[in-house]
Amino acid sequence: MKELLATVKQNIEIAKGIWAITLTLPESVGKIRGGQFANLSVGDSSFPLKRPLGICGVNGDDIMLCYQLKGDGTHRIAEKKVGDKLSVLLPLGNGFDLGSAENIAVIGGGVGIFPLAAVIQEHSAGRNFYSYIGFRGKEYACLTEEFKAGGKLTVATDDGSIGYHGNAVQAFLADYKDGAYDLIISCGPPVMLRALKSALKERGINVKCLVSLEERMGCGIGACLVCACKKSDGHNARVCKDGPVFEIGEVEL
Amino acid sequence: MSNLSVNICGVNFKNPVIAASGTYGFGREYNELYDISKAGGVSTKGLTLEPRSGNPVPRIAEGKSVILNAVGLQNPGVEEFIKNDLEWLKGKTTVIANVAGRTLEDYEKICARLDGLADMIELNISCPNVRAGGMALGIKPQNVEEVTRLTKAQLKKTPLCVKLSPNVESIATNARAAQNGGADCISLINTLTGMVVDIERRRPLIANNTGGVSGAGIMPIALRMVYEAAHAVEIPVIGMGGINSGRDAIAFMMAGAAAVQVGTANFTDVYAIPRIADEMNEWLDSHNIDDVNQIVNTLVLN
Repeated sequence: MKELLATVKQNIEIAKGIWAITLTLPESVGKIRGGQFANLSVGDSSFPLKRPLGICGVNGDDIMLCYQLKGDGTHRIAEKKVGDKLSVLLPLGNGFDLGSAENIAVIGGGVGIFPLAAVIQEHSAGRNFYSYIGFRGKEYACLTEEFKAGGKLTVATDDGSIGYHGNAVQAFLADYKDGAYDLIISCGPPVMLRALKSALKERGINVKCLVSLEERMGCGIGACLVCACKKSDGHNARVCKDGPVFEIGEVEL
Repeated sequence: MSNLSVNICGVNFKNPVIAASGTYGFGREYNELYDISKAGGVSTKGLTLEPRSGNPVPRIAEGKSVILNAVGLQNPGVEEFIKNDLEWLKGKTTVIANVAGRTLEDYEKICARLDGLADMIELNISCPNVRAGGMALGIKPQNVEEVTRLTKAQLKKTPLCVKLSPNVESIATNARAAQNGGADCISLINTLTGMVVDIERRRPLIANNTGGVSGAGIMPIALRMVYEAAHAVEIPVIGMGGINSGRDAIAFMMAGAAAVQVGTANFTDVYAIPRIADEMNEWLDSHNIDDVNQIVNTLVLN
């Protein structure tokens, strides 16, 4: 974990309102695990907080972060040009531990697909990924090649403009067969993760399921206790440090 | 290389740059990024007698050059801190235990528990308090004086610092109230109260609706208040509010602060504290000042 001044290598819109920024790090930060994130400075001192963005891909000392244009900060990041410098703190969080799983269902919704793409890139050799990624419509679809590289991909759209008409959880359930997977990994909006949790329970699906959570953050390293989530045992966990990946039964969604 | 060490009520700080409470935990996470013995001291996450789980999320939002937080004093409780973190942190740097309570009795008990253990106690009197009818104890001068007197009576060994809220009628009056109550020193400013609104949802961004405003945008207010407080009392003052650079820290010391605390800047730059200490040293060297204490309270008014 280090904070470095990285150089923008590319910063492009990859789908409607979705951008991918590739940063060249001046030195190695060691191994980056899929599901870890980076805290990216907006590059303007009137924005004191860095933006926590899921690491989408790693290539040597280049990392790709994807982000949705949402507020002033992300719009400011989108203005960054090739060669600009941005401060970035990484890698943060625990990431996905796939253990010895070989057949892995990947369920991602919207911007939640970004950290999942890095998991597939990291592990594409020797494991089979069955990905279900959902978007509002075809103009928002992105990173499909990255998911295809891991194995089978099903795209779902809320409006049915491409792929399965419905959300990623529904697409997964429509395909689901007992014994097909030894692990499920997921990331997406809270409503999606809640739907997944209740569907697993209702259908009696006992496959281990890891989910990555999102929360507004301060420090990103576990010191400030801003990004709390509630664990099932009543205690708080820090999304940035204890997570962002948790077992689905371990956290209240 | 100038002398950066400062001594406040008998407590030595190797440099005047102290981590502000709530931004730095008990130091362990920052120690993964740099050796936190580079910090002059650490004011801990606010401690309460019992563990607290804090406020609902979101607990943070951003404004122009500021942030707002409403963490709600999430902490493991003073006993866990003493058991797991205190000795480790003391092995690194000077430890200011920041404490809070719901009742005056809470404040007395937690101070008695930490007496002789922490290097200094910092009272957070900005949290809602039963005695003050849910209002913070830090607002009315008579409440400031009372909580100071009661806690000071519990402290036989450890000096008491009272952290003043800026959300008050007169910072000078409250600074004097802390001094009259027996405070060994004061620190200021705690956060200002603010709000950020998501106009699409017509709701405040923070679950708690309001939050404490900190960061570079509040520095002129903090500097003015530190100046006023420092000139109202004889006891030392620790200044804070939006410090982001060595030059900012030097401005606070010129205004009367014997040391400074740095909070929000840690979020913008994880290496802010050692960087600010280095920048102070460079400025002093470039001005041929061999001891940082020589700049304290040297501001000349127009």
